[in-house]
Amino acid sequence: MPDPIISIQGVSKYFGDFMAVEDITIDIEPGEIFALLGPSGCGKSTLLRMIAGFEDPSEGRVLIGGEDMTGVPANKRPVNMVFQSYAVFPHMTVSQNVAYGLKMDGLPKAEIKEKVAEALEQVHLSQFAARLPDQLSGGQRQRVALARALAKRPRVLLLDEPLSALDAKLRDAMRLELVKLQESVGVSFVMVTHDQSEALAMADRVAVLKDGKLMQLADPMTLYQKPANRFVADFIGRVNFFDVTQSTKGSAEIIAGPLGALTLPAPVTGTGEHVLALRPEYIRLSPAKEGGLTGTLGDVGFQGDSSIVEVTLEGGKQVQALAGPEDTTMLLSLGTGAAVALSIDLSQARLLPA
Amino acid sequence: MEHYRQNLRAFAAFFVPSAGWLLVFFVVPLAIIFVYSVSETISLTEIKTTWTFENYARLLEPEILTLFWRSLWLAGISTVICLCVGYPVALVIATAPAKVKPWLLLLIILPFWTNLLIRTYALLNILGTRGRLNGLLEWIWTQGDRALTFIGLGAYDLIGEDFEPITFLGRWSGVIIGLVYVHLPFAILPIYASLEKLDRSYLEASLDLGAGQWRTFRSILLPMTMAGVMTAAIITFIPMLGSFLTPALLGRGQVDMIANVIERQFKGANELPFGSAMSLFLLYVTFIILAIQSFAASRGSRRGIK
Repeated sequence: MPDPIISIQGVSKYFGDFMAVEDITIDIEPGEIFALLGPSGCGKSTLLRMIAGFEDPSEGRVLIGGEDMTGVPANKRPVNMVFQSYAVFPHMTVSQNVAYGLKMDGLPKAEIKEKVAEALEQVHLSQFAARLPDQLSGGQRQRVALARALAKRPRVLLLDEPLSALDAKLRDAMRLELVKLQESVGVSFVMVTHDQSEALAMADRVAVLKDGKLMQLADPMTLYQKPANRFVADFIGRVNFFDVTQSTKGSAEIIAGPLGALTLPAPVTGTGEHVLALRPEYIRLSPAKEGGLTGTLGDVGFQGDSSIVEVTLEGGKQVQALAGPEDTTMLLSLGTGAAVALSIDLSQARLLPA
Repeated sequence: MEHYRQNLRAFAAFFVPSAGWLLVFFVVPLAIIFVYSVSETISLTEIKTTWTFENYARLLEPEILTLFWRSLWLAGISTVICLCVGYPVALVIATAPAKVKPWLLLLIILPFWTNLLIRTYALLNILGTRGRLNGLLEWIWTQGDRALTFIGLGAYDLIGEDFEPITFLGRWSGVIIGLVYVHLPFAILPIYASLEKLDRSYLEASLDLGAGQWRTFRSILLPMTMAGVMTAAIITFIPMLGSFLTPALLGRGQVDMIANVIERQFKGANELPFGSAMSLFLLYVTFIILAIQSFAASRGSRRGIK
């Protein structure tokens, strides 16, 4: 395994009594897109600002390229940032903005010119070089911010909520474009986001944070399929939770709960109160027949390619199921209030600590 | 909001009193002054309106030009000092913790609660040859002299044989100190407002791109708050130019500014027409300055600086 480009070692940050970041240790690999994901106030931005050098860790240290960054100011760190507001200087043209950081490096004029042209080319802004930021759209301003940061050839590019200020359509296009840009420049991207779909779609690895604590660090597939705890399962994608009580009986695990007595294929440790997490796509609905698990059909939320369907179980518990196009047609013809049978793929269920 | 034409009475209720006030106490006196400025003094009590430009022509006399020039540079230097002192103060307030900020702002506007005349007399007390400032300087001199004597250099009179107080009153230095003192809050507040509005991420972006603190100040902070600095310059320079009390008391009649001479035309010299012409000329200069400022501001906003 290559040496990590950024190594966050036991970092904590307090603001007065408030614990913004609590004892976080993360290694970021060269050339990956790494996402810091969590709800607002989870400490993800503070962590990014500590990498950039705008905040000092209260405890622990940050290493960039193996060098301890403690006491190194932001302007001396080999990382650059794209700000959430982009912070494109309004009194400078696009090319002056991009040249600003290069001037600080003391490069000769000819080289600056060359690098500015190259950076603008990279983000398809060459024809806007002489414009002022006022004359650009939000998406174009973001590209200026990207070009400005990338022109410095940072070891790592930091992105603070890079897509949050864009409208929905542009956001989707920009996701792909950022990933392509990362592949072409090859530097690591560390991005902060509160949007789980953004993190899943773009990142190679994701750290999920809550209340300043690291909840899980894994690749998107693992986060989705094998969440480590209830928070991650809930935060990433849609999920149904069932409170269950587990008792050991022979080699199989028997669980009592609203789904009745179930036998889980995979053995789990410990007994007592647990929560069973099940994604909607592993619940299949069909017209009710004798026996088995049944419920009452509620709203069918049509999304085009699929539907999110509400079902109320006999005990009153509400669950969500994902229906494909054919099943949607079938369910819509049944109508709200109809009895439906649920078939559950338990091999995909996760038993988590309550 | 309704258009005012649709509710004429309500509009009139708000408009007429204020418009009437301005008409009676601003427009009419100004018109009288204008008429005076094109009149001639015939005898001690009689002024005749002859539509002459003689009074304006007299503004070009060397004596008056010198007066205008002196007023301009006194106000100009004082404005520059206000900006140089005011900017750092505004910066300190803008970056102070949220709890301290209102108290610091209170300290800035506190002098407004005291009458200008009283504050100016206080300055007389401080700036006099036997005043507090010279007292402080004398104390420093005495300590220095003692130290020199102590190390055996007392006999050489390196810092003079005796302490000589600095004269501020009746000199331009005293007038400038007074002008700066009176107008400094007017410089601090607009600069503070423009700093407060500025998104911090611009400064962080500059640091992030490798610029140091000084460079960030010069290339980002100062240009982006230039509108506030311009406002501060205008609203300190204009009243300074027409200053009366400060040069009258601190200048002791030896550092006259325009307003002091205008006052004399109206009172002692019985030269109402010439005094009126000078007053209007001051008004025209003010208009020109404001026009230049608004032109610069509109260019600035086109460059994205608000």
